Amino acid sequence: MTDSLTARIAFGDGEQPLAELVAPVAAEPIASFRGVWRYWGRGRERWAVLRNIDLDLEPGTATCVMGANGAGKTTLLRIATGLLAADRGRVTIDGLTTDDSWREYHRRIGFLSAGDRGLYARVTVQRHLEYWAALAFMPRRERKAAVRDALAQFGLEELAKRRADRLSQGQRQRLRLALTVVHRPRVVLLDEPRNSLDGQGLEMLAAAVGAVQDRGGAVIWASPVGEDQPVDFDRTFVIEDAELKPA
Amino acid sequence: MTVAAQYFQAMLATVQRDAAVFLSYRLRFATQVLSMLFTLTIFFYVAKLVRPDAVGAHGKYYAFVVVGIVTMAILTSALHLSELVRMELMAGNFERMLISPLGPVGGAMSMAAFPIAYSCVFAGMMLTLAAAFFGVPVHLAGIPLALLVAALGALAFGAIGLLFVGGLIAYKSAMGAAWVLAGLSLLGGIYFPVSLFPAWIRWAKDVQPLTPAVDLLRHLLVGTTSLQPVWLELVKLAGFALVLMPIAAAVLWQAVKISRRRGTIMEY
Repeated sequence: MTDSLTARIAFGDGEQPLAELVAPVAAEPIASFRGVWRYWGRGRERWAVLRNIDLDLEPGTATCVMGANGAGKTTLLRIATGLLAADRGRVTIDGLTTDDSWREYHRRIGFLSAGDRGLYARVTVQRHLEYWAALAFMPRRERKAAVRDALAQFGLEELAKRRADRLSQGQRQRLRLALTVVHRPRVVLLDEPRNSLDGQGLEMLAAAVGAVQDRGGAVIWASPVGEDQPVDFDRTFVIEDAELKPA
Repeated sequence: MTVAAQYFQAMLATVQRDAAVFLSYRLRFATQVLSMLFTLTIFFYVAKLVRPDAVGAHGKYYAFVVVGIVTMAILTSALHLSELVRMELMAGNFERMLISPLGPVGGAMSMAAFPIAYSCVFAGMMLTLAAAFFGVPVHLAGIPLALLVAALGALAFGAIGLLFVGGLIAYKSAMGAAWVLAGLSLLGGIYFPVSLFPAWIRWAKDVQPLTPAVDLLRHLLVGTTSLQPVWLELVKLAGFALVLMPIAAAVLWQAVKISRRRGTIMEY
């Protein structure tokens, strides 16, 4: 991305202010949804939960997707993770689809599912993070620092040796968030991330979103309509009647 | 770091995770050892009821059945894989495996690694106890080749376990695993020689990996006469492992594709 910008500036008119040269250059999206459709049900009972969704996620941006319960927010995120296949259309991350390379596609994403599941009751906080960093194919030499940073980012240092089944709901959510970003993914998908977080937890969450943006990543934050958000989003959409509309 | 090293490290991390969970149950190992001692004792006395030559000229029933039981334990741990995956699905943890670079096939294989490795170690312990307390004549010279046979058997059994994981992911059911386990324990020659069966069913010994695995292990560890030449049994076992594993991986991958399309991948 940086190389691309630099090249365009170098070939521009030197008389023009730099800002004018840079401004029209739209950043290439990290992730793209193109014509994504998804149906639920079969035969006459079939209905479209997502209809022709187009969405680009540019580097350094945070995007909010709101919607009523059952509107299709989770479906949209699950399609982005590859857990669900789109009936039509496709999602790319850095130009890759899950069919191109499951490995490379998934190295680039972090996903927080809604709810409070996805932890091993008898495994400690630190081991959870070490495990997920390895599972995400993070190089061994980077893992120790990444785990340390994730513990600090979500205030989990003192809980590092505690088992997951001995954490409060809010602490569990902080651990789930830490697992989502420990491997420094390019694209972070958050499904109702506020779950059980107190004020301090929300500040940590907002800081984590900012950190992803600062390193040139992109965030999608899915939440129910009307929920207060601790983050200033670059764009906000709402899913209504299976379509993605600017809020 | 090479891609192979990344896969290896991710799988190793899963093994470490499973070991940590296993060790967190402090009494589990002790109760398993106790259970093993009960089994060894029961068959020790059952063996006294069996004619010495019932399992061939060079074998004794007790040694014969002990090796059968330890082999069955390895097979059971492999076929239990679908149950482990079901539990992971219920806990919401399999999702994490699915969306990792390791993917569903690598993830399921890595989940099979600890139980199978543990069952192999446990099988070794059982044999040691059987030798120490019940006089089973274990041939030390046969152990290195027996380890190779155990590894090939574990691969073949693991592939069968993966096939059932595919069934679980696509159709939310792996009930066939219990049937296969029961069928193999009957037809595989675990508790009695397959030569006792009527001729019309003896073909069953040639179409599954349990019989060559258990037959080779018996031959190598306690000196029974093998059903077929050792090299042929080895080739058969290696063939099962090499053929079944890619088939199982392809079936599992196809099952994931089906359930991604249906939207049922996270259901259980």
